[in-house]
Amino acid sequence: MEIKNIKSTNIPAFFDQLIKSGKVVVAPVLKKSGKVFFEAVQSYSQVATDYIQTGFSAKSVVFPKVEELFSYVKNDDGIEITNNLQSIPETIVWGLRPCDASAFNYLTEFFLKENPDTYFAARKEKTTLITVSCAKADDACFCTSVGLNPGSTAGSDILLTIMGEEVYMEVMTEKGKTAVETSATLFTVSEEKNKEEFLAKITTVFSIDEVKERIKTAYDSTEWKHESMGCFGCGACAFACPTCTCFDIQDEGTQNKGVRLRCWDACGFGLFTKHNSGHNPRTNQTERRRQRLLHKFKYSVENLGIVSCVGCGRCIRVCPAHLNIFKNILSVTTESKGVNE
Amino acid sequence: MKQLQNKVAELFDNGTISLMIGFQNALNKQPVPCFITVASQVERLIYTPECKGNLAVYLHKIEVKQAKKVGIIGNVATLRSLIQLTSENQLGDIEKTVITVNAQNEVIIFANMDEVEAYVQANFPEYTDEDKKLLEQLNAMSRAERWQYWSEQFSVCVKCYACRAVCPMCYCPSCTVESNQPQWIKVSSETTGNLEWHTMRAMHLAGRCINCGECGRICPVGIPVHLLTAQMNKDIEAEFGAKTGFSCKSGYALNTFKPGDKEQFIK
Amino acid sequence: MEQPKNQYIPYKMRIANIVEEAPLVQTYRLEFVDKKDAAQFSFKAGQFAEYGVFGEGESTFCIASAPTREGYVECTFRSSGRVTKALANCELNDIIGLRGPFGNTFPIEEWHGKNIVFVTGGIGLPPLRCVIWNLLDQRDKFGEISIYYGARTVNDLVYKEELEEWKNRGDVKLFVTVDPGGETPEWKGLVGFVPTILEQNPPKSENSIAIVAGPPILIKMGMPILGKNGFENKNIYTTLENRMKCGVGKCGHCTVGKTYVCKDGPVFSYDEVLNMPPEY
Repeated sequence: MEIKNIKSTNIPAFFDQLIKSGKVVVAPVLKKSGKVFFEAVQSYSQVATDYIQTGFSAKSVVFPKVEELFSYVKNDDGIEITNNLQSIPETIVWGLRPCDASAFNYLTEFFLKENPDTYFAARKEKTTLITVSCAKADDACFCTSVGLNPGSTAGSDILLTIMGEEVYMEVMTEKGKTAVETSATLFTVSEEKNKEEFLAKITTVFSIDEVKERIKTAYDSTEWKHESMGCFGCGACAFACPTCTCFDIQDEGTQNKGVRLRCWDACGFGLFTKHNSGHNPRTNQTERRRQRLLHKFKYSVENLGIVSCVGCGRCIRVCPAHLNIFKNILSVTTESKGVNE
Repeated sequence: MKQLQNKVAELFDNGTISLMIGFQNALNKQPVPCFITVASQVERLIYTPECKGNLAVYLHKIEVKQAKKVGIIGNVATLRSLIQLTSENQLGDIEKTVITVNAQNEVIIFANMDEVEAYVQANFPEYTDEDKKLLEQLNAMSRAERWQYWSEQFSVCVKCYACRAVCPMCYCPSCTVESNQPQWIKVSSETTGNLEWHTMRAMHLAGRCINCGECGRICPVGIPVHLLTAQMNKDIEAEFGAKTGFSCKSGYALNTFKPGDKEQFIK
Repeated sequence: MEQPKNQYIPYKMRIANIVEEAPLVQTYRLEFVDKKDAAQFSFKAGQFAEYGVFGEGESTFCIASAPTREGYVECTFRSSGRVTKALANCELNDIIGLRGPFGNTFPIEEWHGKNIVFVTGGIGLPPLRCVIWNLLDQRDKFGEISIYYGARTVNDLVYKEELEEWKNRGDVKLFVTVDPGGETPEWKGLVGFVPTILEQNPPKSENSIAIVAGPPILIKMGMPILGKNGFENKNIYTTLENRMKCGVGKCGHCTVGKTYVCKDGPVFSYDEVLNMPPEY
């Protein structure tokens, strides 16, 4: 790890050098709706700076909402199949939060540990993550409850912390170094500094170790019904979430020519588990929402050793019913309050 | 709050309801829907300007239908949903007790749907200023500009179907998008397919949407989808004289024929 | 970083033979278009594949032929949805896609010397046919082999010719039945639901392994009957069929608790099934 310093006023110059390096630079942009989303940008002037969290995560850089698995065309010799893994561009993601960067660690474990995913591997290889730590948080943020904090470097190639006129840089990886080299003269070496006073104070709502222990027996809690009855079964939470990875595979075109795609899917949809026979293992919305939360806090722990929730709060902010994931987790892991059915 | 909680407790105690759909606080202070089943739970109930959402959508849930005697609270938009759903024969299996809180903060428990109708007709809402402005801007555009506007908007739609999920009028047990024989609407998200989805939905809602605006409010990528049906409703009101969510007997403008209709082709 | 093998690109398979098994049920014999693919493809009993019609999608079926037979792969399917209907509309020599083999396998090596009992119905037989032929190709390694198989009507029985073959071999105990009302005047086999026939002709449990496959109702009824007759849960196997898409434990459709039916299954012992949440 290298520690550097750059004047806040030089950040646009650093940013523009990244653009000039020829890579695709994806950064948060303020939209007319008032929401902030990651988009490819051409200059620092497009980048949003005064916001707490983006509407959707940056996972689409490595796991796009629609990915072409291959295209096919029938010809006299049979069927020709081609994919365009070669044309994935080098990409820099600027301005993600520490929770999002940590989510990339989960995505890497999930997609690559067993049955490695070619498409994810190709994209992750070409992605550099430049994270900005959080000076502000809102009441949907709960990263400190899942073992993270607003100044965590986990998953980042570079972590920037704004300290007044200066920006403190922790360059964590070779990829980070490559990014820094684009404008080496803008940086000075720094000694280690304490980030604490420049980071948001986030209330801890539960102890993740307690939750991991208690959730082992939470499957039959009567609280699931109370907490999840409001769930509509849309895909908003799963699509906004930095660690949700479920997808559908769809063919588009004709039998002679077309593409096979993979697109985001969500376990909240009613048809997600439905068999062709009509049998559906998860028959109601409460069961489906329970699946999503148990997956985040129990099943990914059992399979990969990691809680896959990073406490970014996006699911709470996008949920049409405003359902609150940490309230739900607390309810099912606390002794039942004796509420009648 | 106390007044509301006490009245709902009474409704439980005298057996009028076995389930109350309302709002409660969540830990992050944005109220969430709540479903209470006994009088002892009424302390959870709140009703504040922060309570957002049209609870009428929950009346389609199988668990709610099974409860049979259901209390529900809402603002005028919710009441309009109830009226429209009643006129579409969707609430026959629920004995509903409808509650609202008026501008003077009084809790009103309606005795029947006639009273709900009267209240709604006396307090019939206008479009919000913001929506009026946006609709004016859109109507001032040329067709090509409008197409460009909506293409840009729908290029970022992710097909999460939150708009459909939150809409009380989208209650089809099997939605058109769920068909794959044939695949009417493609699964993947891309501009033209997204336009098809939203246009199709707007057509299915024309003359039925009660303009609660929820679909546009909750769209996670900020698309003002509610404007599509808002404009369609204006057009239908102009052409058919029909207001949605106005009367329990109104029927559906696009499939109702009255002998006095001005069109001659059917005669 | 070395590119991992692309799990989503299918092998190209030519439809080499079509057998109409029953109304709406067909068996396709598929041969690899590229001989290189054929040379390095191998699978074990219990594994499945994703069979795809380009432009329509993929469907999940077990590999119904035995791994001991080289050079081809067979699948048996009922035409019921978009992809299976498109598959059924294919003709000889058409090219379809195959991805696989996926999943775990029946631990056949552990069963040497034991009696094997198969309990299945309808199109639950295809996944077990692979195992049956696998065993019969090494018959002397196993004890008694019993097959309990039934369908709604005589016409719905699949692998009719093979059932005759198995009956005539002399080293297989075969109980073939049709549901009451499903028999024809010429039917000489048993009449009764499979669980009933199983109960009336209980297999011996000592030194035996049972495999139950088929619709959830058959599994739910068959397991307790075997249990009553002395079978321990760890000696009863089944193959679960959840909705699948990717086949490699990523898309999330087939999860039951922490288990991915495609990757950790589809073969499970009844013990393992009882430890899962009831979401299958």
